[in-house]
Formats: sequence, C-alpha cells, structure tokens
Amino acid sequence: MIEVRLFATFREGREKIVYFEPTKAACPADVLDELGIPYEEVAICLINGFHSGLRDAIKDKDVLALFPPVGGG
Amino acid sequence: MAEDSRYIRQTMLPQIGEKGQKKLAQSKVAVVGCGGLGAPVLTYLALAGVGNIRMIDDDTVNLTNLNRQFFYTESDIYQEKCKKTADFLQERNTKLTIEPLCERLTDKNVKRLLAGVDVIVDCVDRIETRKHVGRAACGFRIPFVEGGVHGFYGYVLPVLPGESACLECMAMGTIEEKPPIPALGAVAGVIGSLQAVECIKILLGLSHVMYGKMLQYDGLYGEFTEIPVHIRADCDCQKFNKIVNDESHMQ
Repeated sequence: MIEVRLFATFREGREKIVYFEPTKAACPADVLDELGIPYEEVAICLINGFHSGLRDAIKDKDVLALFPPVGGG
Repeated sequence: MAEDSRYIRQTMLPQIGEKGQKKLAQSKVAVVGCGGLGAPVLTYLALAGVGNIRMIDDDTVNLTNLNRQFFYTESDIYQEKCKKTADFLQERNTKLTIEPLCERLTDKNVKRLLAGVDVIVDCVDRIETRKHVGRAACGFRIPFVEGGVHGFYGYVLPVLPGESACLECMAMGTIEEKPPIPALGAVAGVIGSLQAVECIKILLGLSHVMYGKMLQYDGLYGEFTEIPVHIRADCDCQKFNKIVNDESHMQ
C-alpha cells in the first residue's frame, strides 16, 4: 500500500492519511486526481522525505506527503 | 533584586547554566519580520537574554495586524513596526543591543542585513523574501529557522546550510499564497515560540536541533507531525556561496 499524508488545508473535507493500492497510484498526480486536489495547489510533494515531481513513480510502501503553501508570517 | 537574578530560572537548567547564559549574551541573531511570528520570536529571544538582536521589517502597523501582533497598540497605527518593536523589547530588557532596520530585505541588501549573525530566524510573510533569506543564509553558512503559518496550521524547519534540507530542497517557493493569508494569533504564537526554542538551542550549541525535520502543527486536530526531509542534490542551496559573495550584487 502507498501511504498518503495530507497536511494543512488539504485535510479539510478529507482524511489526514489515505492509503492507495499501488495499481491505483503510479505517481503523485494520480493521487491528486483521486483526491480532487488541483495540481497547482501543491507547494511541497515528498516521497519518503525527498522532493518529488508530480509524475515521478511511486511504489508499494512509499510514503507520499502533500502540502499546500503555508507561508504566512 | 540584583540584576544577576533576572535569568536565574533558566541558568538553573543544566543545558544553560552561567556559561550558556554568557553565550546567549554574546550572541547575535537577525529576525526577519516583526509580524505574527516575529512577535513571539523576538519576545522570547529578548527575555532569554540574547544580547544582540537585529530586526528587519519595512512595514507599518495597521489595524488588521492587531489580532496577533502584540507589540502594537491602536495608537501605533501607521507607525514603523521595527521602531515600535525595538521600544517594546528594550523596555523589557535594557541590557540588550537592539538594532531595528526599517527596510525591506531584497537580494540587493541581504548581505549587509544578514552577514555576521549567529542565527537567522525567518518570520516573513512573502515567499519571495523567504527565498532571499534562505539563499543568503545558505551562502553565509548561517543556521536559520524557518516558520510559516496559515490559519490553524503552521510549520517549523531549522536549517543547517549544507547539512540539512531547506525549503527550496522541497521546491517550496514556486507557489505564492494570495494575500491576505488567514492568521490566528495563538497559532502564530505556537510556531514563533517553537522557532525561538530552536534558535536558543542553536545558540547554546545543544544537540537535538530539529535539523532535517519539518515539524507540522495542526491546530484543528491539536497535533504535531514530524516529517523527515532530505537535501535535494540539485538544490541551489549548495551553490549560493558564489551568489552572496559576488560584491557587485550586494551593498
């Protein structure tokens, strides 16, 4: 399973953590499509703590973390 | 009561002691931004006895600041934040050297504003300024503590240049939030206080600074989440020495 951790406003109306079968999520863009999150709203996309592009491959047991911009001061 | 007693409740900590307190007194910190995050950061650094505090902000006080920026009163509206902040801090600790710089930090003045400090605390509200702060800090090899808030959410990320991931390692900085950004004072207080703690730990040379970890706070869930973050091999943070040392770009 792929573990998807959502942060900040991405959690609103969704779960904090969502799991996907690897067959249903080949890349972060697939996960965003499933969750209804527009690509342009993603400020940070990490796979296992490393920066990732939205079309980079994800595999079984990966942890995907998605963040909207949180830049206020 | 003798002045020596001011810090007694923290010098009794084994991690600080008289030696650590002297270290704090001799330290120099730059805080960029005197807003919602800057208020708790600056307050706790000044009260802890950080001897030299430089603050950078070109903004003036307006009414919408007063839900979270506790340095200012209604009678301060239209006044320069930096000067009001300096007065607030100096009244609470007359022994400190407080240096208010009422100007916007840009790539042109960043060297003059930030070089030579021991730690930088980034409390700005614009991604563009965050980039300037982060790049300069990486170039000067100065540890810095990032913090950001959005409504009930916030994060803290201490960065040791060359050794731990910065925001640009995670490609943050490509999306600018449209102002006004939602802000709750208490959440800014949580995040700013955490930034101050990390800054003090760095100044004291304590271990366990949260380098390589982004701490996310979710006020709605009442939850902290620690996310390990890694340097991106092709991040420009590895190349910034050249940029900040190029005198032709810097004042």
